[in-house]
Amino acid sequence: MTGSRSATVERERAAHRRLMRFGVHPGQVVPMWETSDTSVQAIATHLSSLWMAADGAAEAAPGDARTVTEKGLAHARASVLNLIAVVIDDQAADRVVSTLLELGVRHPSRAIVLAPHPGSSKRGIDARISAHCTLANGGGERVCCEEVVLLVRGESAAHLAGIVAPLLIHDLPTHVWWPGDPPFRNPAFDQVVELCDRVLFDSSDMDDLAAGWRRIAGLRRRSGSGDLSWERLHLWQELTAQFFDAPRFRRYLPNVSRLRIRYAVAPSGATGAGIASPMAQALLYAGWIATRLGWKRHRTLETLTAGAFRLVLEGRHEMVDLLVEPEATDAVRAGDLLSVRMASRGETGAGEFIIDRAVDDAAVATNADGMTALFRRVPMLPRSEAELLSAQLALDRADAVYDDAMRAAGILLASAREVTA
Amino acid sequence: MATTASPAAAPAGPAPNPLRAGLRLERIAEPCTMVICGATGDLTERKLGPALYNTLLGGFLPPEFTVVGFARRDLTDEAFRAHLLDGINKYSRNRPAKPSIWESFAAGIEYHRGDFDDAAAFTELAKRLDRIDRDRGTAGNRLFYLAVPPSLYPEIIGNLERAGLAASGEKRTTGPKHGWTRVIVEKPFGYDLASAQALNHEIAAALDEEQVFRIDHYLGKETVQNLSVFRFGNGLFEPIWNRRYIDSVQITVAETVGVEGRGEFYDGTGALRDIIQNHGLQLLAMFAMEPPVDLSAEDLRDEKLKVLRAVKPMPPEDVARNTVRGQYVNGWVEGERMPAYRDEPEVAPDSETETYVALKLAIESWRWAGVPFYIRTGKAMPSRVTEIAVQFRRAPLALFSRAGVPQIDPNVLAIRVQPDEGILLRFGAKVPGQGLNIRTVNMDFRYGSSFAVDSPDAYETLLLDAMVGDASLFTRNDEVERAWAILDPILDTWSSGEGGPLHFYGAGTWGPPAADELLERDGRAWRRP
Repeated sequence: MTGSRSATVERERAAHRRLMRFGVHPGQVVPMWETSDTSVQAIATHLSSLWMAADGAAEAAPGDARTVTEKGLAHARASVLNLIAVVIDDQAADRVVSTLLELGVRHPSRAIVLAPHPGSSKRGIDARISAHCTLANGGGERVCCEEVVLLVRGESAAHLAGIVAPLLIHDLPTHVWWPGDPPFRNPAFDQVVELCDRVLFDSSDMDDLAAGWRRIAGLRRRSGSGDLSWERLHLWQELTAQFFDAPRFRRYLPNVSRLRIRYAVAPSGATGAGIASPMAQALLYAGWIATRLGWKRHRTLETLTAGAFRLVLEGRHEMVDLLVEPEATDAVRAGDLLSVRMASRGETGAGEFIIDRAVDDAAVATNADGMTALFRRVPMLPRSEAELLSAQLALDRADAVYDDAMRAAGILLASAREVTA
Repeated sequence: MATTASPAAAPAGPAPNPLRAGLRLERIAEPCTMVICGATGDLTERKLGPALYNTLLGGFLPPEFTVVGFARRDLTDEAFRAHLLDGINKYSRNRPAKPSIWESFAAGIEYHRGDFDDAAAFTELAKRLDRIDRDRGTAGNRLFYLAVPPSLYPEIIGNLERAGLAASGEKRTTGPKHGWTRVIVEKPFGYDLASAQALNHEIAAALDEEQVFRIDHYLGKETVQNLSVFRFGNGLFEPIWNRRYIDSVQITVAETVGVEGRGEFYDGTGALRDIIQNHGLQLLAMFAMEPPVDLSAEDLRDEKLKVLRAVKPMPPEDVARNTVRGQYVNGWVEGERMPAYRDEPEVAPDSETETYVALKLAIESWRWAGVPFYIRTGKAMPSRVTEIAVQFRRAPLALFSRAGVPQIDPNVLAIRVQPDEGILLRFGAKVPGQGLNIRTVNMDFRYGSSFAVDSPDAYETLLLDAMVGDASLFTRNDEVERAWAILDPILDTWSSGEGGPLHFYGAGTWGPPAADELLERDGRAWRRP
């Protein structure tokens, strides 16, 4: 009992230390405000006085041209959204801190980081507020952000919504980001989600993909949900669609007879280091193709074993052989796609459409119509979590294509788990 | 079932790409070959090469996309690729080019040597394009970019026609019977109404109007495009966008530079032709037009044309009163000494060419009758700025003057196109405290601080538009001619000597005092942008 108590205390301290780093951003414009055992009222009051303090500081130093804009307004702050991030474990604290610092430059926002510690022996809220501005767009414009870090201890941790709601900037979209496996069973999850227009998460972080996708599908927020694993597929989707933008190749599309997807796993074991579900991206990609092309589940050829499976699906004109398999490599992030090969028959013979990823670019080839293979290399740079989050934050609407793909991915996963007949 | 009327027949062409639905890039160019005529020139190096490379990085270019550089210089394919690569490494917003990406792009770049007056060079070009269609799958789609002086347009377009390269699809006499042909031409488009009509006439002999894309890079700028969103996407502004609420409008296109080595060209052109004829009147039309039926190119350009048609050409007797032309003398701009215009190389020492012009125009429509539009442009101005400022009418009753508060400044809405793109609203607010003091405050929105993303360069937007076939940001023949019809009487009156004197202003000032008087007469003043 004592052991677990001290472990709890140690975890709290570790989270404290990590979240402290918000205070040392170089673009900080007001002294960091830090207080323990405070009230929501006091935090809200401080937030509303924050930019007045910043303006005062700017007036005191008229020589510093950067703090006063051309029109004489200090710190003309533009906010486009509220972002709530919920930190449940220490590992997530690290991610949240580094990602939000990078993100601030792209999305002027009020970011509220909630670190609930329901098991804590103490009660109350510790708050830490900092504001910083970064020169964006080659130094022309100041982009300003506020970060509010709240450590909520004891019973209050079960009532997060009531703590966050008064601190949001009114009339702006509110997004919640759950780094790590979303705690669907935690009552705080539903409460916080209820406050938000859009829920952001990463399928690859979910321990149980099938159950997680079912829950996500049932959330029904105004602006839907955003999946960072889906965002990672963005360029793959774009390149795949480009094969068939040329009308003469489009006729191959209904006749696709084979789709083979390879994805990366860490060489050490079958599951990637730190990635709970490295198969998420491959499944989402297959689900996307299947829904766009109207494929139906037919039968399982090879049951899911060590991250690989093989299904037969019913396409419009052909039966489709779908093969998903892992490849051990540390050249790219575990879970990322390595290769997609799509085979089809056109009027003048067979065609193959290939995307092969290298470290920071990809080879894309079309081999069809009996003509010289069209081959090119396109950039495919690894994207940071902040970039992915940023792209998803820019979308303030539900994505029906994603919803369809996610449901289909769930069905494919269930089929893959079936014992072959 | 058979009794119900069947819906319209399936649209022509193949079904849309099912994988495209919901992706972020909704505008995808079809496979095509872009032929740059004048490929060794400055425009290709500074603008077109970088624009193509950035469009490629954005994933907007189809895999089959091919470039053919066409010019007189004797170059190998390799040397032309190196020339393009140099430009990208010097001027692209993403630089330097990444070797593996560049190499695979460069495989689709060729060079075609030839003289623009040599019909055989065009026959050879036609053969080359047929071969590219076969080898690279560009499907007979060809985009010609005339990066050459306008005097060469008729010759090039005539030779394109003779080689069977001008027509699209079915109309073609040689080569593939499918695919489109489009031609992009640069400004200046004509010298006056007669020359613009002649040029349009010559182009029309070989090309249909929907094949012609007259580029005005101002229209490719994000803020100009946002003007439509601002006006027609928001319910708040449109109801007050008329003579009942708007007192006057000021459009400013100010440059800090002088003629920058283009003395010969500029001395024969002047500010009215160089800026007002295209950028100035296009901004005016975008600002003042009625809501289009939809956002199609024809609807949009119909509305712009209606605005230009409602701008009545000035009678000669009004020119001296409603226009001010100026020329800069030596002075200081941005801390640098600038010589007088007449001392610039290639400029006549007694040149009468205007480097500054201020106009008062009227739009005779129900919406705008009685609202003056003041337009000014100049070189060697104190700062580089393009903006449209709307001054609203004052409150009908000076309620606060009874409490000893002087007249409150009218509200101003300023739409800034460059730099620091944004929108600013000025209004009066009470200074806190006992007593009644009112001060003007600004509500300032900047794109840069709300959307911290790189905007595409205007050429990237416009090139992609031309490949997609969207002509909404290009000027149509009737718009160009109407713009000249507005300016011709001013040009004629000036050259006849009846249009008032040429005023001089120091480089680094906001133009001659006469320009201030133009507004003072009406009880107004220029904004200090």
